[in-house]
Amino acid sequence: MKEQQPKILSGKPAAPGIGVGNAFILRDDNKPVHPEKISDQEIEENIRKFENACEFLVQEYEKIKTIPDDYDVVEIIDAQIQALNDPEVMSTIKRKIKEENFSADYAIFSTFNDYIQLLESAGAQWAKDRTIDVVSIRDELIQATKEKKKEFDVKKGEIVFAEDIPPTVMVKLSRIKISGIVMERGGLTSHAVILSQSLGIPCVINAHWDRFQLQDGNDVIIDGSTGQVILRPSWKQKQEYLKRREEQFSRFQKALEWARKPNKTSCGSEFTLRANVEFLEELPRLKTHGARGVGLLRTETILFESNEFDVWDQVEFYSNMVEAVEGHTVTIRLFDAGGDKLLENSETEANPFLGWRGVRMLLDKKEFLKKQLEAIYRVSGKFTGKVRILIPMVSSMEEIHEVKRHCIDVCNSLSRQHVPVDSETPIGIMVEVPSIALMAEHVAKHVDFFSLGTNDLTQYTLAVDRGNEKISHLFDSYHPSIWKLIKMSKDAADKEGIPVAICGEMASKPEAAACLLGLGINDLSMNTGSIPVVKSVLCSNTLDEMKKLADRVLHADELEHIHELLEEWRPA
Amino acid sequence: MKTKKVTVLNESGLHARPASVLVKTASRFKSEFYIKMYGYKVNGKSILGVMTLAAEAGAEMELIVDGPDEDEALEKLVKLFENKFNPAPP
Repeated sequence: MKEQQPKILSGKPAAPGIGVGNAFILRDDNKPVHPEKISDQEIEENIRKFENACEFLVQEYEKIKTIPDDYDVVEIIDAQIQALNDPEVMSTIKRKIKEENFSADYAIFSTFNDYIQLLESAGAQWAKDRTIDVVSIRDELIQATKEKKKEFDVKKGEIVFAEDIPPTVMVKLSRIKISGIVMERGGLTSHAVILSQSLGIPCVINAHWDRFQLQDGNDVIIDGSTGQVILRPSWKQKQEYLKRREEQFSRFQKALEWARKPNKTSCGSEFTLRANVEFLEELPRLKTHGARGVGLLRTETILFESNEFDVWDQVEFYSNMVEAVEGHTVTIRLFDAGGDKLLENSETEANPFLGWRGVRMLLDKKEFLKKQLEAIYRVSGKFTGKVRILIPMVSSMEEIHEVKRHCIDVCNSLSRQHVPVDSETPIGIMVEVPSIALMAEHVAKHVDFFSLGTNDLTQYTLAVDRGNEKISHLFDSYHPSIWKLIKMSKDAADKEGIPVAICGEMASKPEAAACLLGLGINDLSMNTGSIPVVKSVLCSNTLDEMKKLADRVLHADELEHIHELLEEWRPA
Repeated sequence: MKTKKVTVLNESGLHARPASVLVKTASRFKSEFYIKMYGYKVNGKSILGVMTLAAEAGAEMELIVDGPDEDEALEKLVKLFENKFNPAPP
């Protein structure tokens, strides 16, 4: 047999962490349920089966409720229990068995389906989102009526591959202490994902594999932070990931202790750490991890999901965000589609990263822009001073002026309708295209803040497509040119007295964060999970030391030298 | 039997969490509880029923309570709508 080569699957990162283990493929062997009639003699038995199944499932849920010490998880499970105790559903199912002579499994199936249909056709997105949970109760109940419980022979440390995973299965899996989950389906807000985040299991979703690529027992590496899954990695790859996993784990344990301490360097200089956020579900972690507000709110997903640009959906989403961060600010980045995040039906471009994305698209599709600005300004009126507008992918001054004109128009039109707005809502730009960094001095006169997106700034400055594996070694944000551009932007901002923040991946690297602080940028936004580690490094050093580091980095002309300088700051 | 018209005041509508609070509260009473909205009528003690209403902010509905403790039940349920389903201050 031909030896199978390593194979990389790229999915969507759903829960961070690295897992190394053997594949376990969770096959869905539920047979379809057919309308099966039973005889009058069998009615009693079917009622009993159904009642036992309910009781069994409620018990199962009660049991797993005690495991995770997490309010969200308890709430999810409570909702499932509540549905299992729903008097209307229960009596309908029993009536279908008693009066229509349907088998227990079909009675359950058809009763739940009526609700599922209604929820799916509901106007509100939250109702549609709930259907996954109702489907999973339906299927688990049917499974339980079969009275032979599906036992897993998943072993500790294995990486589970599945199409989708219902919450009960999920918690059972976590008891076995599996190393990771790879799902074909599943949204970032699905229970399985929320649970895996709160249970600390690395998880990748929307990964696709064909049946020939993967067998039970295959070596697998999963990186829940990047969404990469490596099937049959080489020995070297495996060692590398094992080492990284060790590092991550010990770092994180130590770092969580820092989350509650004040945001000050050891010499008392203050800084602010914020979170890059996309979903409401991420918010509970902000507090435990020590984030002060949202430094970058990505808005693409809500807009992709709802297909249309509904102002009220957005108002609700942004309001919920602002409420949840408890007095801190939320920086809302305008819809940044394009590049690797495509709108449906949009044409494929030869160079999407150099193409129609960010503000370029917004200024072409003004209806998107206007609706989003309307939503943001409506929220600004309710929470004065708590929201900021961030324009993505700006490459010229004209774009800034044009967006600002739309801001004024939207503000005026809302005011005419007597809708309260905060017309002073800060408008800032992403500094991620070199042209803007180079003319930062001019730009700073016309915007209220800069937010540096170091990933794109790197790929545009170095001419390296960050999605291209062949040249991925060239993609390095520590390149001397990037530090120079950061410094230029910071100096320009200082001259005009506007604040600068970093919201790129760079900020989440402790050694880079220290250097940024040394450059005088003390507002860093990153994925929530990185905050504790970054904070631990910033808190345990003096600003002076960081300034020295920044100075040496700025004077280095070779990438390797910069890596050496930063290496010393990497936490052990 | 007691009835009362109410409006959903919380911005995000009667979504999963408020629906759950409503059903939990209603289930503590002996009285039957129904919700009528735009011609639909659902059992107010049924979580799936209440969710399928997918009532959004501003939706008007009629609460119908019938049973031995209907007065107290209606009062508590109306309060929930008024407080936007936030837990009552202790």
